[in-house]
Parts: sequence; structure tokens; C-alpha cells
Amino acid sequence: MDGLALKSGRSFLGVGIPAMRDPDEDLVRRVGVGDKRAASELVRRHLPRMVGLARRMLGDHAEAEDVAQEVFLRVWKHAAAWKPGQAKFETWMHRVAMNLCLDRLRRSGRQGGEVSPETPDIRASATRALDDRQRRDRVREALQELPERQRAALVLCYYQERTNIEAADILGVSVDALESLLSRARRTLKSALSNERADLMSGIETG
Amino acid sequence: MNEARFIELLNAYGAELSRWPEEDRVAAEALLEVAPHRLKDIWESERSFDHLLALEKDGPATISLETKVLSLSPNRPGVRRPLQLFGKRRMPQWATGGAIAASLALGFAVGYAGEPASSSVSEADYAKMLTLNGAGAGSIFLTAIDDPES
Repeated sequence: MDGLALKSGRSFLGVGIPAMRDPDEDLVRRVGVGDKRAASELVRRHLPRMVGLARRMLGDHAEAEDVAQEVFLRVWKHAAAWKPGQAKFETWMHRVAMNLCLDRLRRSGRQGGEVSPETPDIRASATRALDDRQRRDRVREALQELPERQRAALVLCYYQERTNIEAADILGVSVDALESLLSRARRTLKSALSNERADLMSGIETG
Repeated sequence: MNEARFIELLNAYGAELSRWPEEDRVAAEALLEVAPHRLKDIWESERSFDHLLALEKDGPATISLETKVLSLSPNRPGVRRPLQLFGKRRMPQWATGGAIAASLALGFAVGYAGEPASSSVSEADYAKMLTLNGAGAGSIFLTAIDDPES
């Protein structure tokens, strides 16, 4: 089954993920026997996060919704065969979503890249007071300019609240490699936002 | 945990300790308690940067997307369906049509055969039957049949 090969709570590093009951286990079992109410609950619980992950990875809301829909199609298809005790269901969903995003990025040739520190429109507005929406847009833009692996690591750990072990599992890298990706992502973002960072910070602190 | 490792983790995970590897959190917190101002300043600066990144929030999913996704979910097999007299075998269309036609013909034939050839009840008695206060149409009819005077 696609993506379900994620092994039972053990990262490939051999570090055990603490064995705990999967919070989605019961819902997934009920979805597997066609319980619409359980399906609805599962959608409410995970759809926003799936859309969020895809939007941050792809930078396009409509495309993000397509990906989220595709993730749930796989959920509906595989729920009946889901075996508790393997990876957490949510981790599997994240892996499916991330792989779909990476596939789309590769197909379309959008890879992201290092941000040039000499972005004139950003500099020009550095002294301008920014409202929350503008600040958020700046962060979004900077995220989109990150190389895809850095962006993926950051999205999983910062926005999807995955643990370092889960994120490393999803990306198929070691925890050390994940930390390296995160450090580079953070450094790249600081560089991308450096010109207006003081402005952004003062806005946050005073507002 | 030494300062170098603290900085390394801070650069990767940011200032929010809940994001740090579980096994490092307590040591990091302890180090931060007694850390020199220089290190605390670095941590504060990273915390501000975390706030900036946190502006990029998730909104709720749209209702239309929720509806679309749910419409694709599998159906409940326990939903009651009409009784299947012929098991799961599907009858061909001609057989279904034939069965309907046959039942209509049978109903017509039974109705026609059940009609009396001639009524033994006079028109006056029939009118009397209709004015009786019975429990229902059946009881009126039975009353009329049992009436010795009819």
C-alpha cells in the first residue's frame, strides 16, 4: 500500500518513537467500514493541516486543495486496510501529502532557490510600517523561495508540528540531516527577510 | 548540554523548546536558567523571529472543499436497503418489465373475475347500506349480507 510502509514507530535511525495509541485509530477503523460520521470527523481533524502543508509547499491555494483532496482519496481507499500499531495515521497522511507536493514541484520544475539578498522591492519598503497581512505575505514569499527540502523540513517541524523523528521519517532523512536542513532554512529566511526584519520585529513588539 | 549544542539546536528548531528533541528539552531549560545574558539575548532574538514565522497561519478549510472530500468517502454498508428477494443477482431489464406487466394483468383479471354478474341487492337496499353507521366499509358490506330482510 502506498506510503503505508512507514514502519511501526521506529525511525530508520533505530530511534524508537514512543509507543502510544494512535489518536486516529478508532476513526480510521470506522471509516474503513464506511462510517460517514467518522469520515466527517477525520476530515474536520486533518483537512486544514493537509491544505496548509500543501499551500506552504506549493504556494498556491487551489493546487493545495487539489492535493488535500487527493490525500483524502487515498485515505478513503486505504482506511479498511489500515493496521494499527504501524506508523501514526497522521504521519502517514503527512508523508502522502508531502510526496504529492514534491512530485508536483518536480513535474512543474518549481524547485525554489536561494533568495537573493538584493531584492529591490523588499528594500524599498523596509522602512514602511507593515500590517500583519503584509508581514504574513512577506513570510509566505520567503518560504516559497526556500529550496524545496529546506521548505519541507521547516513546514513539517514548524507549521505541521511534527516531531523531529516524524519529520525525518516523512522526508526519509536522518535527524542530523533534518537539523541541518532546518538550520539552513532558518538562516536563508533570516537573510531573505533581513532588510525588513527590524521593521517586522518592531511592529510585532509594539503591535 | 553545552553552549555549542544549545546554539546548534536553537538554530535548527528555534526558541520554542516544545519543538526541540524531547531528550534535550530539560537540559536546555536548565541551561537557559543559568545562561549568561549574551546567550539569553540570542535566544530572545530567535524567539522574535519565531513570532514572525508564526504569522503564516492556517485558516480553516472551506466548506466546499470539506463537502467535496466527504462526498468521495466510502458509503456505509450497514445502510438499510430494500429487501432483495433474489439475493444479490440482478434481474435483466426485460424480466423486471415483464414482472410488472404480469402483476398488472393479474390484478386486472382478479378484479374483473370478482365482479358479481348481477347484483342481487336492490337499489333501495344499496342506498340503505350506504347510510348505515358501521365500523367501516367492510362492516357495512357484511351487515348488508347478513340482513335477513335483504
